[in-house]
Amino acid sequence: MPLARSLSVTSLSGLEDWEDELDLDNAILFEVAWEVANKVGGIFTVIQTKAKITLDEWGENYFLIGPYLELNVRTQVELIEPPNPAIRRTIDSMNTKGCKVYFGRWLIEGGPYVILIDIGATAWSLDRWKTELWESCSIGIPWYDREANDAVLFGFLTAWFLGEFSAQCEEKPFIIGHFHEWLAGVGLFLCRIRKLPIATIFTTHATLLGRYLCAGSVDFYNNLQNFNVDKEAGDRQIYHRYCMERAAVHCTHVFTTVSQITAVEAEHLLKRKPDIVTPNGLNVKKFSAMHEFQNLHAQSKARIQEFVRGHFYGHLDFNLDKTIFFFIAGRYEYSNKGADIFLEALARLNYLLRVNGSQITVVAFFIMPARTNNFNVETLKGQAVRKQLWDTANAVKEKFGKKLYESLLVGNLPDMNKMLDKEDFTMMKRAIFATQRHSFPPICTHNMLDDSTDPILNTIRRIGLFNSSADRVKVIFHPEFLSSTSPLLPVDYEEFVRGCHLGVFPSYYEPWGYTPAECTVMGIPSISTNLSGFGCFMEEHIADPSAYGIYILDRRFRALDESCTQLTSFLYSFCQQSRRQRIIQRNRTERLSDLLDWKYLGRYYMYARHMALATAFPDNFTYEPHETTAAQGFRYPRPASVPPSPSISRHSSPHHSETEEDDERYDEEEEAEKDRQNIKPPAMMGPVPEWRKRSKKGSSEASTSSNASTPTLPSSPSDLSSPTSSLIEEKN
Amino acid sequence: MPVTDQAFVTLATNDVYCHGALVLGQSLRNYRTSRRLAILITPQVSRAMRAALRTIFDSVVDVKEIDSNDLMHLTLLKRLELGVTFTKLHCWTLTQYSKCVFMDADTLVLCNVDELFEREEFSAAPDPGWPDCFNSGVFVFQPSLKTFKHLLQFANEHGSFDGGDQGLLNSFFSSWATKDINKHLPFIYNLSSSTVYTYAPAFQHFGKDTKVIHFLGPAKPWNYKYNPQTRTVTQNDSTPVSENQLPFLELWWIIYRSSILPLLEKLQEPPIQQEEPNMNNDEQTSERENPLINNSLPASTNAECISESVVNPPCELSAKNNIAVKKAECSLEEDIVEPSKSFTEFSVQPVPQQTLVTNEFTSSVAEVAVQPEPKESSADERRKWEEGHIDYLGKDAFENIKKKLDAFLL
Repeated sequence: MPLARSLSVTSLSGLEDWEDELDLDNAILFEVAWEVANKVGGIFTVIQTKAKITLDEWGENYFLIGPYLELNVRTQVELIEPPNPAIRRTIDSMNTKGCKVYFGRWLIEGGPYVILIDIGATAWSLDRWKTELWESCSIGIPWYDREANDAVLFGFLTAWFLGEFSAQCEEKPFIIGHFHEWLAGVGLFLCRIRKLPIATIFTTHATLLGRYLCAGSVDFYNNLQNFNVDKEAGDRQIYHRYCMERAAVHCTHVFTTVSQITAVEAEHLLKRKPDIVTPNGLNVKKFSAMHEFQNLHAQSKARIQEFVRGHFYGHLDFNLDKTIFFFIAGRYEYSNKGADIFLEALARLNYLLRVNGSQITVVAFFIMPARTNNFNVETLKGQAVRKQLWDTANAVKEKFGKKLYESLLVGNLPDMNKMLDKEDFTMMKRAIFATQRHSFPPICTHNMLDDSTDPILNTIRRIGLFNSSADRVKVIFHPEFLSSTSPLLPVDYEEFVRGCHLGVFPSYYEPWGYTPAECTVMGIPSISTNLSGFGCFMEEHIADPSAYGIYILDRRFRALDESCTQLTSFLYSFCQQSRRQRIIQRNRTERLSDLLDWKYLGRYYMYARHMALATAFPDNFTYEPHETTAAQGFRYPRPASVPPSPSISRHSSPHHSETEEDDERYDEEEEAEKDRQNIKPPAMMGPVPEWRKRSKKGSSEASTSSNASTPTLPSSPSDLSSPTSSLIEEKN
Repeated sequence: MPVTDQAFVTLATNDVYCHGALVLGQSLRNYRTSRRLAILITPQVSRAMRAALRTIFDSVVDVKEIDSNDLMHLTLLKRLELGVTFTKLHCWTLTQYSKCVFMDADTLVLCNVDELFEREEFSAAPDPGWPDCFNSGVFVFQPSLKTFKHLLQFANEHGSFDGGDQGLLNSFFSSWATKDINKHLPFIYNLSSSTVYTYAPAFQHFGKDTKVIHFLGPAKPWNYKYNPQTRTVTQNDSTPVSENQLPFLELWWIIYRSSILPLLEKLQEPPIQQEEPNMNNDEQTSERENPLINNSLPASTNAECISESVVNPPCELSAKNNIAVKKAECSLEEDIVEPSKSFTEFSVQPVPQQTLVTNEFTSSVAEVAVQPEPKESSADERRKWEEGHIDYLGKDAFENIKKKLDAFLL
């Protein structure tokens, strides 16, 4: 999904400077994944969104390899004749030996070439291949694990393809095989076992064992170094899968993960430290209008407000203009996704807001699909009642308008007492009576199948957040994906996110975390954790993340209760922001989009490829490793003007800021410009990989030129002298 | 008074199903059946398991599908997909008995069910999925070589509409649904556990009278985790087990732990709990080590005491002998066309129980056929992996795999 963003920030300086110096004419890149043209989970998004920039770099020499699945091919792929003769010969050769290999264009942005292999067609070789696997590395595959057997078929077929291809090429090119996740891993270590001349890269997006261990509510991160990994995998009956994953990790030239936190996990569970971290990006589409995302926020918020009006009919004793929408969304993994800690923090927030007599109301949405039995009658009725009031008001308005018009036509000022007759009042009274309600507004919008055992509902029952009028925090649990055709809340996910004020994702296990990244690109602040890949990434790149609307919860080094207290304070301080402060914060959040754009993040994949070539073909390529893997590239300092978050504001009274609001100096353009300058041009931040003699020269030139054009600015919060002084000025 | 010419018959095509068969046999013994117990097994069953079976069953009958008779052989070649089905049909050859009751290895009796022998051939209970068909998990039959031959001929001509024995038998005994109500066994003689909640009130009302429970579906009792302290059964992926099914699963496990586990330990066949590992491994071992630290966190595992408790079975040779005989006889040699059919089928179809069993059966045939020079121990170890019995704390540790890989990476 390309996410739109505004032009409020022009392309960051430094981005364009970086150019790939590698001579790619004689190199070919194959990217192998089970999720190529096959939507299973998050890896699909990674590969699909990344295709465009990879294609820009590699052009005709970029091929994706995935499984052939009839349904997917019919909807996503245009089958064509391979333009590359070596590829054509390879495919023909395999097809004459009983394989079914297809070639086409994947109909996504850029239209990359895909090679799709039908594993069912060669299933008859399974046993022969399993024997080979057993004889070469003593890994056996249980017959009942279909996914693992598929992985073997897919692995042998990709290795066959790559071997055949390298034999078919007359002029031996440098081949890179980039494999994603364990399902593709068999192909990788087979390439190595068969000693194919291929530079290999293996990327894990999460570890098999990590996912299992976290799902089993183990104190994961504190025991990371203590696990007996063989035993844990064996006990969970995933030993054969784990062996395939570890074999791939062990054999690959370059090993990468998607985040620092997964790097730590991989180091302990897969016993190899990743050579480089390759974070996931998004395709950021730019709007032509400035601050378009703010307008979209207002529009979408209005639709959510309409829903809330209906949902809370009869209990609308709070001011919708002072209502803040929080949301959590994702797979229904109660504790992995942090719904537990979020609910607890909401209960505490409710107490804080009540005790402090706050005017703010919070509506927290839980968008997590669970098993349901369609919509709840009470919620549907709410929307119907709202609709009815709207119709009644409109009918009265029509009559009123007509009378007014007639009276003006004859030249009289209208007699206000005659404007509404008895009938109108009766109609309106009847409509008001219909809004009476003796029960609280429902928590859950659907009828849950496992109502009595549902963890979210049970926690809500325990902490007593029943949407009563005294509660300042209201909860709505929407256990289904959002859809623009829903009779309840007719918005799609993107619109919904845009209409909310804050996304809350306090996950315990989240290798990357696309949800907060999407929020950021849409200019919506979010809470993530230092156990999520996204949180780690942002922490590295921004000096004061919360000023930019990126709140990072510490769940790694703190006890659960402390984390919960911290989350509560984040939520509370967010509630105390004035409208203007929120707008400023959204502007800042949105400026971070460039950080998450593949245009920027794609370079880590480039590094990985260069490193792989240098490792596999040391005679032809050299690579100087980057000294700092952390904090490469952008480093956003504290924003220049007043931080929007009252938690770091100097005012003691929360109301104080309201009155002084207008005194705050905030210049969007000025601040954005500062941000742009503060970004370290990538050429400066680390040695550029060396590519033969020629390349090296080119890159050093690039780095000196950018040095000259960009003033060196401080990157750590401690030496931010200029922003601090502006703050002091302001206070006076 | 023991009746020697009537028997309960079951079937196990591999070691995993043997665990089920042992529990079934023990449950029949517990309720003091006066009939004989017989089991049909295929060559895949290991020697240690055979020994265990012999202690509970009066008769352990080895079914060698290929040398049984010509007709069988021909039919099998023609309709390879019905491999396991034919194994089941072998029960009609047990002519030393005048009447038998067949019970699947995934059933469990909850009381004495000897009254089933008052029924005639062919009596069975309706299938919950299609009540006009009977479920072939429990049925009364009369062994007869003539019937056996007719069944084979029928299979040869018509095949099976569901690819398994149930389809075949339903076509063969097609008058069951309409002709004689006495041949309808009450549902409580073959209550499939998975249907328990589709008609909850009926289960509430009649469930207490259940006599035979049938663990239909992909999740068998031995696929669950069992915590011996709390005596609770949980599923592997931590999804809760259906409440109605729970007592039956617990019962299965109680019998397994109290009777079968000691037996297997005596005979050194690795029992499920240690092979199909789970959280209670820790608890189980700590129980042995020190009963006071039962509630230790799962993270505080003690690798050493666990490796002690896992018994490595010696490589058995008996299964190998069978394979060697088979290899000579079927002379499939390098011909991989035969297994190919069933594998294509395996990868296309979803995973109903029957196909899995079929696949597993053929895979072991294929193993013999394809392997050029099967090293006795290596093939055996591979078989263990493929059955999910991996010695991951011992010789199969990743360190050893790594050494093999490193040999290639030089």
